[in-house]
Amino acid sequence: MKKILIALLVVVAAAAGVGYYLWNKPHVDLTNAKSDIAVDAKTLLEEYQLNEAASNEKYFDKVIAVKGTVMEVMNDEGTVKVSLETGDPSGFVVRCELSATAPHARTEFTVGEQVQFKGTCSGLNFDVQLDNCVEVR
Amino acid sequence: MKKIVFLFVALTAATTISAQNYFTRDGKVKLDATSSTSPEKIEALTKTASCVLDASAGKIQWAVLLKSFKFEQALMEEHFNENYVESNKFPKATFSGQITNLSEVNLAKDGTYNAVVTGKMTLHGVTKDITTNGALNVSGGKIRVNAGFSLMLPDYGITIPSLVSDKVTKDARILIDATLEPMK
Repeated sequence: MKKILIALLVVVAAAAGVGYYLWNKPHVDLTNAKSDIAVDAKTLLEEYQLNEAASNEKYFDKVIAVKGTVMEVMNDEGTVKVSLETGDPSGFVVRCELSATAPHARTEFTVGEQVQFKGTCSGLNFDVQLDNCVEVR
Repeated sequence: MKKIVFLFVALTAATTISAQNYFTRDGKVKLDATSSTSPEKIEALTKTASCVLDASAGKIQWAVLLKSFKFEQALMEEHFNENYVESNKFPKATFSGQITNLSEVNLAKDGTYNAVVTGKMTLHGVTKDITTNGALNVSGGKIRVNAGFSLMLPDYGITIPSLVSDKVTKDARILIDATLEPMK
């Protein structure tokens, strides 16, 4: 009887532990993640503009390492968004939104400098949007 | 001569477009699906919604990437993308509509105007007609758009499992806040 009770307790504790872990599951942290695909900002936007559906097949929700030149940096109420130049005539870019939870060595960037970010691709909304970004140094 | 005329027409067209279109890629859209009995908040925010407003025609278009919504809980974010909106199949939610009381709205003059917008919302591969009110605040050449409305998630083929129906409401509230600037 006692054994059954102990076994039951263990099961309940394990379930609670799993539940607690899932509930407090940390947000995506790409600091040590291996990128699925590496591309430059210009190519990424051009591919999306050419064929959005095929590009989503290739990039959506994947970890992308994107290289480019900083065109604009914006701090939008605590959210840092870095636009990478693409040479697009309408001014559309690859936008990297820095992760709100991952550690960053820096969150300030200079217009014109070369950078590389790792981020998950969320798709095309005029710009190509990468979320959860961390800088690759 | 033909070339000059063409150039003139092209230039005029370009200036007209730039004078009439307003745009942002930094629109904020908040989704709140917290049911009245839920102990925790089921809400998410994106700061990268796009909006294009054709001021002279009163046409307004929104697009938001569902994967860009941030939840406080990573698990909620995962469920939202994988089980509810299925963002891998339907990455974008869009709205395309028309300001129906355009005569009451003077976007060339500073002030706050009530706009009635009616149009088509596409979410999770389903398109529905919606009508909502919004406030347009015109100031210094920029237009700030604020609106709030409800979406019945089951109308868009999004089912809320009964297990979580005490937490997640079917009747999600959407709040929009965006500042549009003249398109360059």
